[in-house]
Amino acid sequence: MTLTLALPTGRIFEETSELLLSRGVKLPPSVRAGRRLRIEADPFTLVLAKDRDVPTYVEHGVADAGIVGVDVLSESRPDVFEPLDLRIGACRMVVARQASRPPGFYRDLSVVRVATKYPAVTTRFFHGQGIPVEVIPLAGSVELAPILGLADCIVDLVQTGGTLAANGLEIDEVLFESTARLIVNRASFRLKTEALRGLVHRLGGAPGT
Amino acid sequence: MTRRSLLEIPSGVQCFLGDEARLRREIERVAADVFRGWSYEEIVLPLFDFDDVFTRGGGVSSTDGVYRFIGRDGEVMALRADFTALVAKVVVSRLSKRELPLRLFYSGEVLRYQPPRAGRREELFQIGLEHLGAGGVAADVETILVAREALSKLGIDDAVFTLGHVGFALELLAGVEEPERSLALEALRRHDRDGLRRIVGTASLDLTALSGGVEVIEQARDATGSREALARLEAVVSELSALGLERQIRLDLSEVRDFDYYTGLVFEIHAQGAGLELGGGGRYDSLLGRFGRELPAVGFYLSLDRVSELLAKRGVSSPEGDVSSVGSLKESLAARERGETVRVKS
Repeated sequence: MTLTLALPTGRIFEETSELLLSRGVKLPPSVRAGRRLRIEADPFTLVLAKDRDVPTYVEHGVADAGIVGVDVLSESRPDVFEPLDLRIGACRMVVARQASRPPGFYRDLSVVRVATKYPAVTTRFFHGQGIPVEVIPLAGSVELAPILGLADCIVDLVQTGGTLAANGLEIDEVLFESTARLIVNRASFRLKTEALRGLVHRLGGAPGT
Repeated sequence: MTRRSLLEIPSGVQCFLGDEARLRREIERVAADVFRGWSYEEIVLPLFDFDDVFTRGGGVSSTDGVYRFIGRDGEVMALRADFTALVAKVVVSRLSKRELPLRLFYSGEVLRYQPPRAGRREELFQIGLEHLGAGGVAADVETILVAREALSKLGIDDAVFTLGHVGFALELLAGVEEPERSLALEALRRHDRDGLRRIVGTASLDLTALSGGVEVIEQARDATGSREALARLEAVVSELSALGLERQIRLDLSEVRDFDYYTGLVFEIHAQGAGLELGGGGRYDSLLGRFGRELPAVGFYLSLDRVSELLAKRGVSSPEGDVSSVGSLKESLAARERGETVRVKS
């Protein structure tokens, strides 16, 4: 039975491709060219999607399964199965502040202004501790916001910390560690159990098996 | 301030036209006929009630997006957020003298605010039934037979019933205290093996091995030493198989469903082409006790919205019948007398 698999074209695309190749999934060259969005790669139909759209496709069942980071899952909280931690794309979701400010300074503010691409994660984190927050949603380069005085700090995904350091920011607190997960549509898992269980074992097993 | 156009709609509202409206009405009629055929009696329930009927009584959590309002006397009210709690309330208060078991069905909308995303609506049309007063395997099996027949009469012969038993998860998590317990249940519900391991440390439990065919029960018994829940589930499955439903039955022991009132068998209904469940249900033996009368019960619902979408996707429609075009109102009366559908030319 053909499975439709949604792959993220963003941050973890390279690692995802390597993982699939190492598990014997043949990726046609058109995947790398990145123009065609729907590609047959027997026994899979691959759908190339924006990272944040992967959970949408899977939750709605137009893709049976997908690969996506915990960062994205924490933001959109889709109702899907999460059977496998793929242990790739590791990074951390952090609160970062300007290095010149003391650690945790924002706890003394009446309202913390936080620039982020992850408004839901940010609100949950601050409100969960009773700290009022004003979320300033940005589409990217959130490091700019504290420099320009738009925000007191940022919540963002950090891999090496290089971008933070280059912009005079440092990590204040780690919200969670993020890795890529295999997610599976709830209905597909009922109807294509064997094929999906095979996929879980294939991706979860040792390379080359 | 700009004045809003009278045509603007609030998000979440919907209206159905033409073929779609006819199809929905037809689904409701077919399902109701099947329910009546199994001696389920219709019960028409209120569109709103006190908020705590749904939260403290039923299993709707306060964060589930219940539409609340303050009644004229200052009480917190809620728009119907779940049918089962309302049925329980009526059974305890009004139907206490009736002979058991009681078989009741309902049909209508429940309202719950949902963050906007694909496939999630705020007005959910449900057709469902409750079988109250019998705690045995036969009642569990009956509800699944009725659900199967209703779907089959609607043209969905390939429905898959995925069965679980909440007792299995509870046995598995015995001794795990809150807040870990809720986290563990959520991890189980999401098949998140690594998450579950981090929380409760069950090192080797392979969650994907908890779902599949009948063999799952045996494997789970070996892996976890669970007894009672699995024995009951096995009895239900073997009865269903004996009745010829084997092909339509799957098992998933991680199935716990969203409502906290389930105590035993739980099931989800899926079919090819529908990315979201068509319906589901289960046993809730302690819910009626919350309203003051201990009574075992089991029930299920079908989502009219999703069944109708699936049928439409499969090319089923509910066309208009033949129409006689008549020239005058006088002629139309005669045609109506003959039972024809008329359209008067104007």
